[in-house]
Parts: sequence; C-alpha cells; structure tokens
Amino acid sequence: MKNQIKNYIIIALFIIITYGLMLINIFKPDNEISYSERRRLLQEPSFTLQSFISGDYFTAYEKYALDQFPFRDKIRGLKAFTSYYIFKQKDNNSLYIVDGYINKIEYPLNEKAIINAANKINEVYNKYLQGMNVSYAIIPDKNYFLADKKGHLSMDYDKLIQVMNGNIMNMNYIDLFEQLTIDDYYKTDIHWRQDKLIELTEYLLRSMGNELSLTKDEFSKISLYPFYGSYYGQAALNIKADTLIYLTNEMIESALVYDHIDKTYSKIYNKDRFNTVDSYDIFLSGAKSLLTIYNPKALNNKELIIFRDSFGSSIAPLMLKGYSKITLVDLRYLSTDLLSNYIDFSTNQDVLFLYNIVILNNSYMLK
Amino acid sequence: MLFSSIIFLYYFLPLVLGLYFIVPKKYKNFILLISSLFFYFYGEPIYSILMITSIGLGYLHGLWIDRMKNSKYAKLPMISSVIVSIGSLVFFKYSNFLINNLNNFFSLNIPIMDIALPIGISFYTFQILSYNIDLYRKDTKVQKNILYFATYVSLFPQLIAGPIVRYSNVEAELSQRKHSIEKIAYGISRFIIGLSKKVLLANNLGELEKIFSLSNEKTVLFYWISTIAFTLQIYFDFSGYSDMAIGLGRIFGFHFQENFNYPFISKSITEFWRRWHISLGTWFRDYVYIPMGGNRVSKLKWIRNILIVWFLTGIWHGAEWNFVFWGLYFALLLVLEKLCFNKILARLPAVINHIYVMFLVILSFAIFNGQGIGEVKEILMGLFGGLEIPLYNQVTIYYLKSYGIVFIIAIIASTPLATYIIKKLNTYSLGKKIINLLQPIVISVLLLLVTGYLVDGSFNPFLYFRF
Repeated sequence: MKNQIKNYIIIALFIIITYGLMLINIFKPDNEISYSERRRLLQEPSFTLQSFISGDYFTAYEKYALDQFPFRDKIRGLKAFTSYYIFKQKDNNSLYIVDGYINKIEYPLNEKAIINAANKINEVYNKYLQGMNVSYAIIPDKNYFLADKKGHLSMDYDKLIQVMNGNIMNMNYIDLFEQLTIDDYYKTDIHWRQDKLIELTEYLLRSMGNELSLTKDEFSKISLYPFYGSYYGQAALNIKADTLIYLTNEMIESALVYDHIDKTYSKIYNKDRFNTVDSYDIFLSGAKSLLTIYNPKALNNKELIIFRDSFGSSIAPLMLKGYSKITLVDLRYLSTDLLSNYIDFSTNQDVLFLYNIVILNNSYMLK
Repeated sequence: MLFSSIIFLYYFLPLVLGLYFIVPKKYKNFILLISSLFFYFYGEPIYSILMITSIGLGYLHGLWIDRMKNSKYAKLPMISSVIVSIGSLVFFKYSNFLINNLNNFFSLNIPIMDIALPIGISFYTFQILSYNIDLYRKDTKVQKNILYFATYVSLFPQLIAGPIVRYSNVEAELSQRKHSIEKIAYGISRFIIGLSKKVLLANNLGELEKIFSLSNEKTVLFYWISTIAFTLQIYFDFSGYSDMAIGLGRIFGFHFQENFNYPFISKSITEFWRRWHISLGTWFRDYVYIPMGGNRVSKLKWIRNILIVWFLTGIWHGAEWNFVFWGLYFALLLVLEKLCFNKILARLPAVINHIYVMFLVILSFAIFNGQGIGEVKEILMGLFGGLEIPLYNQVTIYYLKSYGIVFIIAIIASTPLATYIIKKLNTYSLGKKIINLLQPIVISVLLLLVTGYLVDGSFNPFLYFRF
C-alpha cells in the first residue's frame, strides 16, 4: 500500500514540476532584459514555413525557451550550487569565489596577444605621440590577488610585465601592481572601486609629472545600492551585492563630457544608468569610442589623453584636478587610423595607456 | 530533439503524456506515432522523409516476406529487405568514407557528396532489419497494421539513441499493453535517473574533455584523466539515454530490454561485452555471428566470424578507421581470452581481473575518441609518455582537484552499489519506509538540478548521435 502512495507522490510531483513550469512559461510575459546577466533576452522567433522546414525555427525556439525559462536566475543558481558545493568544483563557467569575491579565470598568458598589444601601443606612439610625455600602466585583474590563494589557475604575471616592458618603446612604465589590493575591487564585478582609487590617482598623476596631492576630503561620496556587477549574474549564487560609491566635488560636477561620435554633451556621472543592464555605465555613460572631458574649474592648461578600457571611466574623473581637458580613447571601438580626425596631438599633452590585463591578454580587439 | 532539453522536458513530454493518457486506448498508438514523427522532424526535417520511406519499405517487405513464406523463393524478399536497409545505411553513413578511401588508395578524384548523417539511422535501420529477418525465420508474426509497425520503428523513446528494440519484444505490447501507476512511477524515476546520469555526470565529464582538447599544457597525467573522463562520459551518456528510453517506454506501457548492466564491474572483456550496449551485441550475435556458424565451426572460421562481427561493430559506431580498429581491438582480445586468457583470468584475484578489464577498456576508448588515426596515435603516445610533455603540471592538478568529486561519484555510480543498498534496505520495513520517503524527494530534486544545468548551459549533444 505504502509503495502505491510513494508512486502517486512521484507522479504528482513530476506533473507539478513539468506542467507547472510549462504553464508558467506559456502564460508569463517574456522578459526583455536580464539584469543579473546584463544582456537582452531572446524573444519569440518568427515562424516562417522555410524556417520550419529547415529546422531553423526549432533551433531559434530552443534558445528562446532557455532565455525565457521561468525563475531563470534561481534555476541557474541550482547548477551553481551543485557545482560549487556538491561537486566541489573549483570553478563554474570559469568563475570562482574566494573570500566573497567573484573572479573569472584568465588563463593562460597569451604571449602573442600581449606582444600584439605592445605593438599596437607602439603603433599609436609612432603615428601620433613622438616627443610627447607618454606613460603606460597595466591594471592587475582580481586573479592577481586571489588565484594563487586557493589553488586556482594563475597566469605568469611576471612574464606579462616582462613582455610588455621588453616590447613597448619610448614610454614610461608606471607599476600599479604594488599600489592595489583586492579591497580596491568590487566583489561582484570585474572593475576597481572608484572610492578606493584616490591614492592611486595621486600616484599616477605624480608618475606623469604632476606634482599635486589628492585627499579623501576633496570628495564627497554618493552610495548606490544594490550594485550587481558583471559577474553576479554569471555566478548565479546568492552573494551579497556591492555598493557602488562614486566620488564627486564641485570640479567634477561642473565638468562637461563631449561624445565625439554622438556629438552630445553630458555630465560625468550618468545616474540614470544605475539599475540598468550595466550599472557601471554610471561612469561616463559606459562604452564610448571617444570622449573629451572639459574642466571649467581647471587649475592649469594641461591636457591628458588616456587610451583606455572601461576601467578608465571611473579613474578619469579623479584626474581632473591635474588637467583642463581629458580625452579618453577606446581603441576597441575606434581605429587608430582615425584618431587624427578627432584629436589635435601636441607636445604639451600628457598621454597615458591604461589597460587591464584581460584586454591585454585578448588584445586582438584593439583596432 | 534531445531528451535532455527544455523543449523536450517542459513542452513536448507534458503535452504528449497528457494527450496519451486522455485519449481512448484505440488512439494511443496514433498519438505515439504522431508525436514520434514530430520528435524526429524537429531534429531532422528533411530526413523525416527518409525515415518514413524506410518504415514504408520495411512494412512492405514484411508483407512480402509473409506472403512468400512457404514458397521456394521465400529468401528473396528477405534479401531484398537486407539490401534496401543496408544500402540506405551505407549510402547515408558510409559513402564519403568509401569515396575518401578510394581516392586515397587509388589516387582517384571522386567528389565527396554533400550528405549529412540522418540522426538515428543506425538504430531504426537495425530495428527494421531485425523485424524482417525474424519474420523470415518465423520467429515473429507479420504486422499488417502499418500504424502499429510505424509506431514500433519510430517510437520516440528509442528512436534516435536506442536501445535497439526487437519487434518480437514489443509485438504483444503494441496492441495490448497495460498501464499502471506503478509502471508510470517506475518509468518517471528511471527516466530522471537516466537524465541525471546524462546531464549531471556525462555532460560534466564532457566539459573536462573539452578543456583538455583545448589545452596547450597537456601532460601525461592529463591524457589519462581525459581518457578516463571520456570512458565514464560515454558510459553515462549512453546508459543514461538507455535509462531514459526504458523509463519513457515503461510510462507508455512498453518493456524494453536492458542495454547496460554495469559493464565496468566485468572481470573479462567477454563479460564486458555482455554488459555493454547489450542490444547491439545481441543483434550482431543473432543476425551475423550465429548465421555464420558462431563458434560451432572450425577454429579458423570462428576467428573469421569474430573478426567480421567486430569489424561491423566497429564500423557501425562511425565511418572512420579508428572505429574499425576499435572493433578489431576487441576482436583480438575476445579471441585471446577464448584461446588462453580466460584460463589465466580464472586463476587470478578478482581485483586483477577488474584492473585488466578497465585498463583495456580505457585504452579502447582512447582509440574510439580519436578523430582519425593520427589523433589516435597522438592520444596513445600521450598516455604512454611518447610525447615530449611533462608528467603533470599545475593545470593538470587544478582540473584533477576540480573534477575529483565528479570522478568519485561517477565511479561509484557506475557500480551496482546504489542498487545493492536499495535492495538491502527494501528487505527491512524501516528501510522500505526510508526509500518510500526519499525516492520522490530525490527524483524531484534531481529533475530540478538537471533543469538548472540545462538552463545554465546550452549545448549537450548525445555522443552516439553520429550513429
């Protein structure tokens, strides 16, 4: 008799799970964006006779069904939980967690890509920057601080620096590795925390020949919570969100940002971008090919050009004290050949190449 | 369509089950047929026509064989059926292999044909063949209802990945089968166990295999880890699919035969092949080996029979020479065991027998896994230190640690330990209560975990889909 009860329960649970999720899937409206995964979700594909016969419709529908599955984040969390806590796997989708920090494996060192990055930097120098005060710095990734700690794969950082130093010519290398700690990074995001970069900014500015000081008292802090970083959704685990703290003062608030491609002006901090697909876009409105920040409250006439990635977006505002104008170039979106169309290069400008390790290790995206 | 997909689990299966159990008995086979044809069409829109044609030809040959059964030309329709079935299989699966070899050996320039391998063709062709041959041998009765016959061949639980179901095994159930709560519950449990083996274990091990293949830092140890991972992956992939097929079949009232019986506990290669892909082994035994005389012939002819059967077994798995070598590798071992090894093995402790079997089986899957002879050579050299690579490195140790628990669970799950424990518990009333309490919970949790893996991942093909 009890076996029969067990059998009924098995059938009932199976029906509840399969039919329940099926019906929720059918009747719930489709989501457009996954905030935790920071991307647009696929919408229902269009049905055509051709796509039906070729099978393309089914392939597209399958991907759509995955994207729109009910309770997607929680369901994915089951896999993450199983992977980390039952199978005790060291990473899940190349993500691992140490001391509450979510990190993405960046391994192995791609020496060809590093040399390519160095060559690209040299190319820019040779074309536009000869005779100028040029520096470069490498931003360590979180793996640098944490990978070795719990036996995760760690690239040869010494070799990376050695290859960069051995291939980049005519520039001053600014070593950031000893200036940063893991506390300077978000737990759920790839990026560093702007509120922790005051000392580093001062160090960078001094290394480029600007004798000025920056202190915490010059800024007021604005806290925004919750900040779900780029790794948060990928990890699919119940980790506490970060607090995004940005620093501001009169100089930063009065600055104007010109987008050379869209031909628009904006402020340094775009608060509307918080709680969108990528909240880090609050800094200079996210990925942009070419921006110029004008500082009406500048203390001098100096100008700075930063060849950068997304890390540059949060540190550039802090550098305003040293410059009347900061131009930010993202070579992932703007070709080197087009730079002279937009920028007047002159010898009284400082230039900084500031890239994080992930970009250097995958440098073929630089144009 | 894959069993281990959201579309199957949360669209197709609930709809089909619902329709199946709602409709009156006389329409149940129709529901199965339509859903099976759609199931196949979903994955192979164009080749659905091929399958339907094969079913039609198989059915017509069946009628012809039955009509001619008492005539002196009784063999003719059977031979025709074999030619048509094997001809279709050879054309779609082996043409380019034949062309490539002709071009290589005879310096010809025959163009390669633009043909994709129809999914499941090896399985449904063998099923149709077995029906026609059994009919000729008078081991079964003709099926005049084309709907029933088509349902048998196209039945989606076993259509694309086996087991190879003999018509005689399901003949009665096609027209008269009973459904019960016990069967449905058993079927659901069996299906989810199979699904878990496939998604939680096989796919996981497949990830490691992929990492290995992409790594530029291979070591001897990494070669071994990867090959063992592949051996376990293919077992859980295939036995998982067989479990799913058997489970789904049971829900619909069919009793399919077991296809795997814990092959890794075998003490000889002979025993291994009685436990691994049983439906294929018995198919070749009944339709090739025994008709050629089996082992009731001279020693030389027996060796010839073994070589032919294992050549065919190898080539059935894929149109590449490494599959042929894989088959012949086992032929050699089986001959050696029959001639002398079995006597030696019988005198050795069981643990030595197990090590002997596992070592040879793992090596066999190194051959199986190579994409062509060149890669097979590379894998074997990698395993035995023939490449200039270190014994181990940080990457190898990292992945060994990362997949350690998965390996342990997989190894335990490949033994009958869990089955033994459940059987033992069932002999006590408290044990029965524990099982009655835990089984629904475990099954439900596994289904949700599998769903988590499927939603998180995107691509988990069944290894035997190339067959």
